[in-house]
Amino acid sequence: MNQLLLSLALYLRTSKRYKKSKNFVSDLLNNSSNPYKKYVDITIIFLIVTSVFILIYEVKHPVPEWVDNYDIYFVSFVFSIEYILRLWVYNDLSEFVTEEYHESQFLQRKFEPWSVLKIGLVEKLKYMVTPAAIIDLLAIFPAYRPLRVLRIFVLFRVLKLLRYTKSINQFVEVISNKRFELLTLLFLLFFIVMTAGIAIYVLEERLNPNIEDLFDAVYWALITISTVGYGDISPVTPEGRTISMLIIVSGIAMISFSTSVIVSAFSERLIELKENRIVEQVNKSRSFLIVCGYGQMTKMFFRQKKDALHNYIILDKSLERVETARKDGYDAIHEDASRFETLNKFNVEHAKITILCLTASDVENIYITLNAKSISRKIKVIARVNDISIISKFEYAGADHLLMPNRVVNTMVHTAITQPTMYKAVHAILTGKSLAHIDEVHIHEFHSLVGKSIKEIDFKGSKLLFIGIQREGKFMFNPSTSEHIKSYDILLVMGRHISVNYFNTLYAGDI
Amino acid sequence: MFAKNILLFGYGNHGKFIAQGLAKDGFSVKVVESNQEYYRQAQEDGFQDAVHMDVTKDDALKALNPQDYVKLVCVMDDEHLNVFLTLSLHSLFNESYILSISDSMHTTKKLKMAGATKVIDLYEVSANRIHNILKRPVATKLLEGFVLERDGIGFKEMIITEDSFLVGMTTDEIDFSPYGVLLVGMIDEELGHAFVFITAGINHNLDCDDTIVCIGPRDKLEAFSEEIKKRERSI
Repeated sequence: MNQLLLSLALYLRTSKRYKKSKNFVSDLLNNSSNPYKKYVDITIIFLIVTSVFILIYEVKHPVPEWVDNYDIYFVSFVFSIEYILRLWVYNDLSEFVTEEYHESQFLQRKFEPWSVLKIGLVEKLKYMVTPAAIIDLLAIFPAYRPLRVLRIFVLFRVLKLLRYTKSINQFVEVISNKRFELLTLLFLLFFIVMTAGIAIYVLEERLNPNIEDLFDAVYWALITISTVGYGDISPVTPEGRTISMLIIVSGIAMISFSTSVIVSAFSERLIELKENRIVEQVNKSRSFLIVCGYGQMTKMFFRQKKDALHNYIILDKSLERVETARKDGYDAIHEDASRFETLNKFNVEHAKITILCLTASDVENIYITLNAKSISRKIKVIARVNDISIISKFEYAGADHLLMPNRVVNTMVHTAITQPTMYKAVHAILTGKSLAHIDEVHIHEFHSLVGKSIKEIDFKGSKLLFIGIQREGKFMFNPSTSEHIKSYDILLVMGRHISVNYFNTLYAGDI
Repeated sequence: MFAKNILLFGYGNHGKFIAQGLAKDGFSVKVVESNQEYYRQAQEDGFQDAVHMDVTKDDALKALNPQDYVKLVCVMDDEHLNVFLTLSLHSLFNESYILSISDSMHTTKKLKMAGATKVIDLYEVSANRIHNILKRPVATKLLEGFVLERDGIGFKEMIITEDSFLVGMTTDEIDFSPYGVLLVGMIDEELGHAFVFITAGINHNLDCDDTIVCIGPRDKLEAFSEEIKKRERSI
């Protein structure tokens, strides 16, 4: 038996397919940055909503059998599959068994898989008693027909929505942070309600026709302390009325206290919640910009952008600058981009991320570059270099593009003095303000220009100046007219934006 | 051509590189610095006639005779001082060409108000580059090379002389390809002193004193600038 268990565990541990599918399911169910998770979420939410709708509808109307079957069998089936999958991916039993096997081999003791298996199962059990897992389980129950009362368990399906709505999760999280205060209050409430209930029961049970047993008395106490006061039970003796007055006063105190606890919990976490929301929002897009530092250059960058930029987030270490950014109307969060945890929060796996390191400190910029590249090589980094002598360090760190404001300005001053006409041209091209700027035409595999020679292409007709070809990292300036265009070439052209667009529509597309 | 003397205020972060670049191109640069350390640095780097003085004093500025220089360049490290200096120079010698650099949006505005002929904004250019990198990474990288590198491909401006074979031709007529250069744009004196890109789609008449800007390998550009001085084209 042990042998069988071991070989099964070893098989599962080594099977790539098993591991891959388990990771896939885990990611799909739990990782909110997985692009397919939203489809799973939408499906589940749809099932819940229809299920509740059917529950309400069938109170007064007969429902067709297929609807009933859908509600009972299909929805419950999907939910049980989901429950089982969640339980499955929670931990890995085969890992426990194989580890125990390796340990026993190493220590040359008897291989006993059951004890470790028990630990693993206990862990799974611990998961099963978490509120979320219990709700998941109860949501499956309405499938059991003979007990009609189980129909009400459909409402647990509504609670299942909690898992899929971020704001409620955050609410629960905030509340659970104030567990101690709220539990104290709850205990106090329980104490007062019970005391008042017993007191009224003892004092009025015989005199008050509405109070028949202790349950009635406790019910009255709770209705009174909550300041709801239905009025179906009311005290008839002066002693009873005194007790009512006391618990009404303590009820008001308790309500205001609990309100203030919840409000303060929220205000403490409000900024954090807001920042998390911004990060989540930006993580949803397929490609976005992370701008590090809100200084002069960042301000200029945003000011120059004519159409509003949507997919971006500004990070800054200084709270003051974050405040300024918010006042200027940009999404900014107070985080240190050089920390691993900060950048790791973003959807590195599934989105195309470009990081702009625009802080005034070179050390900081290099650190952010390294940090980003250590998380994923896929992240594109555009870094600002202040000290020209350390360019090579940025290149080692892996920055994709370097901004050298000092060097550019020095060149501009130099050009303005030595070649004033050219200065205008260069400035116009560099700032992209003028009618003409240099643009690139990317030739993809099925582009209609592939295989054509340069003389066959009418650049002049589109009012473009053909400057050269970038091929395999090398630039060919003004190549001979017999040169043929290859796939993945990038043509460098100069001209108005509309000319480039016209050229693209004229030639792009499949052969 | 230009008289090649420049009065450069500031030998700090920018001044140092600008002075050296200009000296390499055969300009005579006179450095003025108020910071003792930078001043010493300038002298060490070979600018023997560098002057150490307080640039806020009008008398000292007058003594420099700025009107004898073709351009006054203000690149002091202290931006307040730079604005003040620009203002002083403009009020004292309002005919002079003053070129200043700015490292913030607010300073750019102030420098213009102070009377700088041209202001180069450190951040404006860089911020634009970010947009360009995001939109067209390859072109930006290449272009940066064209502008910044001293060898390889670059831009050059040339003035058409009276005797040039280009006089009287239109931009569409001339075939630049045998020379290995491309015409990017020109300043047409007929149409006012504005720079026109060749791709604007207007066929220009080339006259004497028009300035053309070409792109190409540096050696070919040099050869071409010699070529256009001739009466007959050789190719």
